Amino acid sequence: MIAIDSLNKKFGNFHAVRDLDLRIPPGEVFGFLGPNGAGKTTTIRMMVGLIKPTSGRVFIDGQDISRQPEEAKAVLGFIPDRPYLYEKITGREFLEFIADLHGLDSGDKRQKRIGELLIFFDLEDWGRELVESYSHGMRQRLIIAAALLHRPKVLIVDEPMVGLDPKGARLVKRLFFELAKKGMAIFMSTHSMEVAENMCRRIGIINEGRLIAVGTMEELREKAQSTDERLEPLFLKLTGGEGEGVEWEHG
Amino acid sequence: MGTWLILLRPKIISLKHRLRKREGRSLLKPLVLAGLAAAFWVFTFLAFKRVLFYFRGVELFGDLLASNLLFMILLTFFSILLFSNIISSLSTFFLAEDLNLILSRPVPPDRVFYGRLAETLTHSSWMVLLFGLPVFLAYGWVYKASLTYYIVLVCALIPFLIIPAALGTLFSIMMVNIFPARRTKDVLFLLSIFFAVILYFMLRFLQPERLANPDSFASLVEYLTDLEAPFTTFLPSSWAAEALLPFYQDHRSPVIFFLGLLWSTAGAGIVFANWLFRAKYFDGWTKAQEARKARITQMPLVERFIRLATFYLHPRVRALVVKDCKTFCRDAAQWSQLILLAALVVVYLYNFSVLPLSRSPLPTFFLQNLISFLNMGLAGFVLAAVSGRFVFPAVSLEGPAFWIIRSSPISLRSFLRSKFWTSLFPLLILAQVLIFWSNHLLQVTPFMMILSSVTLFFMTFGVASLGIGMGAIYPRFRVENAAQIPSGFGGVFFMVMSMFFVGAIVILEAWPVYTIFMAGFNHRALSLFEWTGIILSFASVAVLIGVVAIVPMRMGLKKLEEMDF
Repeated sequence: MIAIDSLNKKFGNFHAVRDLDLRIPPGEVFGFLGPNGAGKTTTIRMMVGLIKPTSGRVFIDGQDISRQPEEAKAVLGFIPDRPYLYEKITGREFLEFIADLHGLDSGDKRQKRIGELLIFFDLEDWGRELVESYSHGMRQRLIIAAALLHRPKVLIVDEPMVGLDPKGARLVKRLFFELAKKGMAIFMSTHSMEVAENMCRRIGIINEGRLIAVGTMEELREKAQSTDERLEPLFLKLTGGEGEGVEWEHG
Repeated sequence: MGTWLILLRPKIISLKHRLRKREGRSLLKPLVLAGLAAAFWVFTFLAFKRVLFYFRGVELFGDLLASNLLFMILLTFFSILLFSNIISSLSTFFLAEDLNLILSRPVPPDRVFYGRLAETLTHSSWMVLLFGLPVFLAYGWVYKASLTYYIVLVCALIPFLIIPAALGTLFSIMMVNIFPARRTKDVLFLLSIFFAVILYFMLRFLQPERLANPDSFASLVEYLTDLEAPFTTFLPSSWAAEALLPFYQDHRSPVIFFLGLLWSTAGAGIVFANWLFRAKYFDGWTKAQEARKARITQMPLVERFIRLATFYLHPRVRALVVKDCKTFCRDAAQWSQLILLAALVVVYLYNFSVLPLSRSPLPTFFLQNLISFLNMGLAGFVLAAVSGRFVFPAVSLEGPAFWIIRSSPISLRSFLRSKFWTSLFPLLILAQVLIFWSNHLLQVTPFMMILSSVTLFFMTFGVASLGIGMGAIYPRFRVENAAQIPSGFGGVFFMVMSMFFVGAIVILEAWPVYTIFMAGFNHRALSLFEWTGIILSFASVAVLIGVVAIVPMRMGLKKLEEMDF
């Protein structure tokens, strides 16, 4: 469902992403981990067509995001880490707008779908309020609703739990499981080891722009030559952060 | 006061970094901006020098005119300063993003107050100071003022700038305690627009051109004498004028007394503002954090109208148009500019109704058509100015939410087209109203009426394309305030390019129009040479409009496609 071939991105002399190759089949929740500045967000932005790769290709459901952007984006849902929205339109109007952009028929079906999403994400009472009055968590929930509105085949998520309260986070986790069961491919970048461990079948670890490990927990353990059950020590060992301690004293 | 300057350090360091970053980059941008500022500065200086020399030459009441002009200028500056300080203090004291950082640290209230006051003062005053200086220098030059004048000028200007900053801060702290900060800002923005419109109407309907007409002097002097009384009230602008006047003319006023008034008022203003800040700031800040609910969120009629008016567009493009129109109607900072636009149109048309054509030595018929031709250029310039405000910012107004468009299945070509069509229709209506009514007032020939209407019709396509295209080439998605978009390099560059475009069309059409007009006037047929020239000129106009209507949009599209967002 998602295919990434030899993807590279350079900003001047800085090589942000190097020779990235990945395949994510339908029905899989894939976790994408890495330290700060490793290239996670750059990879995601290339996958959804926000920035152009220096070289390499990204295919979404067989469509090249650079060459057939409209076809690829039609089956794609994207949830960014920072919920920037149009401030002067209401939540419902925003969903109507997204439905128009995706060419969804403007009938009862569409209204029903929008209504269901607003209820599901606990935004029903706020649907007719301007987005400028929404809290961070409400904006994030509205963006998730918008990403799912057109029933995409692929969902790309940058830090899914940022800004969500525990109830919202649990709701999203369950939702992602359900969607994957129905065949959606979910590519998820996160800093939360717990989220990655619980939700993802396979995990990819990127460091300094290179994909240094990819596989199930078992495969990562082999790669790190560790017997540890938890993801955090494996991640630290693979990214070279294991030996770094807190050497300064407070005060 | 302590070390409140620490709070300004991040801003100063940021400015330093911005300047340092510029090293090694293209010098075009700063040179163009510096050139434009210098040209404006020199123009203001020369214009005031000329006016003041003229006043000096007017017997009996020349000095009165010069002093009244000074009172009026200072009063205008004071009003502008007061308004911009209120709006600026609302931002710096209540809405700035770094306030969360500062207020969560152990910073004493005094430091916050003085740091923010200094920021408010700088934001609001630099422009008035920059463009006011040539005026004061022109006064000094014309009246051969001594060095003491310049020292007194500096001593008067400092408290003159501080007083509105302190008053503005006082006022905004009071307002935020009554209304939420964002609402207050909308209301004040609207008030300032109304204020600007009233000022504009006042100045225009005073008919300053009457100064050139000796017949009306008697009544004008009476008028100015009447105006003298309110100037001598308790306004800081009057004190500043009283402190400066003795250096221009034989005007006895105690300079030290008026300087004392200015400084003591500035000091008192700061003390009062600081006192109110300590008493009520935190309450106001807390209130400003509360989310407000929308008032009018349903616009079914507007939406139905827009959908009906855009039925021929692709549904995706139409969705963008509907979204843009709704945002425009709900954002006070955007729609309130329409008030300024309406004032501009009224005064523009009023000018044509008061043209003294009958007093000209040229035949009225000839003059009417000449002015009508020049009017085509003028209307084009108005169109360019309006586009600078409304069309150029269209792409940038997507703001940080532009990711929604980029990750949606809509091509950037469709996106730019939607922006183009949304801008084009209002511009076409404006252009045709301007040209039709002004030509109607001038009672021009049908030929001129048709020519100018058709030219302006196609010119509008060019200006709209230039605005959208250049807006896409120089986008500013991350500005804190939408009003900053047209004032950047791209906005100024767009204005220059659109002026060139309008000017080029007027020049290309001048010869053929003159030839056709003179042939008609002398009742003779056009020669083959004249026909060839006319066809070539109009063909050049068509090519120019075609190129400008296509190329900038294509360049903008290419830039957006290559841009990393």
